[in-house]
Amino acid sequence: MNLPLPTAAPSPAPEAPHPRAGEQLSGADIVVQILVDEGCEVLFGYSGGAILPVYDAIFRHNAQHLRADGSEPMPLIVPANEQGAGFMAAGLARASGKVGVAVVTSGPGATNLVTPIRDAMADSVPMLAICGQVPTSALGSDAFQEAPVANIMASCAKHVFLVTEAEQLEATLRTAFEIARSGRPGPVVVDIPKNVQNAMLRFDGACRLPIPGYRARLRATAQAQLGDDACARFFTALAQARRPLIYAGGGVIAAGASTALHEFATTFGIPVTTTLMGLGGFDTTHPLALHMLGMHGTAYANYAVEDCDFLIALGARFDDRVAGVPARFAPRAQFIAQIDIDAAEVSKVKAVDWHHVGPLRGALERLLRHGRARGAHPDFSDWHAHLAALKRDHALDFDRDSVLIQPQAVIEAINRHTRGRAIISTGVGQHQMWAAQYFDFRAPRHWLTSGSMGTMGFGLPAAIGAQFARPDALVIDIDGDGSIRMNLGELETVTSYGLPLKIVVLNNVGDGMVRQWQKLFFDGRFSATDRSLRRKDFVMAAQADGFGWVRRLERKDELEAVIGEFLAHPGAAFLEVMIDPDAGVYPMVGPGKSYAQMITGPFIAERNESAIASAQTADMF
Amino acid sequence: MKHTLFILLQNESGALLRVAGLFAARHCNIDTLTVATTHDPAISQLTLVMHGSAALLEQVVRQTRKLVDVLDVNTLSLVGDEQRPMALASSA
Ligand SMILES: Cc1ncc(C[n+]2csc(CCOP(=O)(O)OP(=O)(O)O)c2C)c(N)n1
Ligand SMILES: [Mg+2]
Repeated sequence: MNLPLPTAAPSPAPEAPHPRAGEQLSGADIVVQILVDEGCEVLFGYSGGAILPVYDAIFRHNAQHLRADGSEPMPLIVPANEQGAGFMAAGLARASGKVGVAVVTSGPGATNLVTPIRDAMADSVPMLAICGQVPTSALGSDAFQEAPVANIMASCAKHVFLVTEAEQLEATLRTAFEIARSGRPGPVVVDIPKNVQNAMLRFDGACRLPIPGYRARLRATAQAQLGDDACARFFTALAQARRPLIYAGGGVIAAGASTALHEFATTFGIPVTTTLMGLGGFDTTHPLALHMLGMHGTAYANYAVEDCDFLIALGARFDDRVAGVPARFAPRAQFIAQIDIDAAEVSKVKAVDWHHVGPLRGALERLLRHGRARGAHPDFSDWHAHLAALKRDHALDFDRDSVLIQPQAVIEAINRHTRGRAIISTGVGQHQMWAAQYFDFRAPRHWLTSGSMGTMGFGLPAAIGAQFARPDALVIDIDGDGSIRMNLGELETVTSYGLPLKIVVLNNVGDGMVRQWQKLFFDGRFSATDRSLRRKDFVMAAQADGFGWVRRLERKDELEAVIGEFLAHPGAAFLEVMIDPDAGVYPMVGPGKSYAQMITGPFIAERNESAIASAQTADMF
Repeated sequence: MKHTLFILLQNESGALLRVAGLFAARHCNIDTLTVATTHDPAISQLTLVMHGSAALLEQVVRQTRKLVDVLDVNTLSLVGDEQRPMALASSA
């Protein structure tokens, strides 16, 4: 179900010319035609002066191509704020593997997209942002709603184009899609001055920009084959290992490599832990799965990292939420192997002994064939038994006896219904970590979360985008009371478009994650994170925005029944759960700490004495 | 350690900004930077001098190679004592 990314090579000239080749079209009509050609079925955006020609072209396209059921072939979904449009496009991309498209006006429209563009860059999500711009004659004149979008976005996006020559528009847009999805995916911004949108142009149907450096590097990477020697060195090391561990990141999902990973791990009996971004890349209910590692990973995954003697990093980049202290990460690993599509990630943080730069799926399949052909049949049964004991003795747990509703119990209750088959999005904070820890993830593209940027406000618009990508799927936004407020205007987007989205707000009356740090590192001074005096009434807000099922849950004994009712509701449903405001996220590997210093908290058994933080940690982030 | 980078760049709008911005964003100080056209008007040559560790150089070169308009990156580095350089080492 994971869409394979098209290989990166420049597509050869199509056999048959484009049916519209040679037609005279306006720049705006060319924008629409390219979107159609690239398989775009929904757009997200907010209108404004500098993008009016494109919006008009979209309107005309939809009016002229109405489907038999009266629906539009390329609806334009209007958010409350362009940031919402950006995250909707990202949600669609994350849930489907397709390029998500946002179309906004110049100046404030474009700058409102900065956060989602940076978020997509940081999590390698393919996106295209089309921004209106003041006419070329006004560029650089401080014109009304002019912003230096190419400058601003250059620091945030995978690439930016400012189209100053109308003749380049068509090639630029086609190339923008190519860049967004190829190699390590990412967001591309195309800034289009209004006169370029209005220019009359001859439509070519196939042209692309020459980007020889990029394409040559891409081709070299795509064609890089793992040689027999490299495979042999890998298996020699594996044969010497007794405790191998796969550390799989978001690259597994971006590469469509989860099936290959499953084959590889199960064939050789190598356990798998994934990063936050890698959740779903390997079925967390599989016996070889150790769920998530890292700052808030499971204790048993982190212990496995401590114990392993051979670490295999697949599409993972040793970032600071995983390897806070690189030198003490996987301290017993005699051999570290790394496969990544991005050469710049190899040995960036931690030196590795073996690496391959290339598409992950092909590399895993190659290793698999090599190992099978040579009868590699390592026996890791002692290691498996060791890990089974770790999983049993250090399982995730929480305060099950409290009279207050525990957030983890809410996730568990939802999971009993969804069983890893729902698409889950989140805000950022404790609720995000509880969702990551307590849900099962059985397949890729079911977990949408802002990993690297950690952007509050992501959850609701991302869920909306995902629901457009997967209209029949159960999509649930697990949000925080702080995070959801950041894009609360999008509640009304849900109901206006009749989406059957399910929203859960785990309300701990404040910025729980920040409070957790303030408890640990600032003597419990809750500067600006306590919301108990705030007036927000989420239930009334959801009702005002037309949610058909709205409920505030405050009693623990009603949890099971309410969750059942909530999920059974056919339309948009909003559930606010008043949770224990003091619930913490455990385990926790503190900032600047090694896994040996992991705190497991009051409800998870610890393996050895953790060195309590005495060092100054307040400047660690 | 001082390093000289020779960067061949497609002459696109914003290309220079992207290279300079990348170095700034990665906290890599540029000591000198010159830009010249080549015999091909579509291609510019950037000559950039920076200082920093070999690891920093390697990372920033790899990141530079990811920029869409970059065609090629070559480097020359001083080896040995900065006051009394022994030799120049180059890498592709
Ligand atoms: C846009 C943005 N601003 C600030 C932060 C810093 N931050 C991280 S978690 C958090 C608190 C989130 O509160 P809430 O959404 O209620 O989640 P909780 O931790 O309470 O579950 C804050 C402020 C952030 N990640 N993103
Ligand atoms: Mg909260």
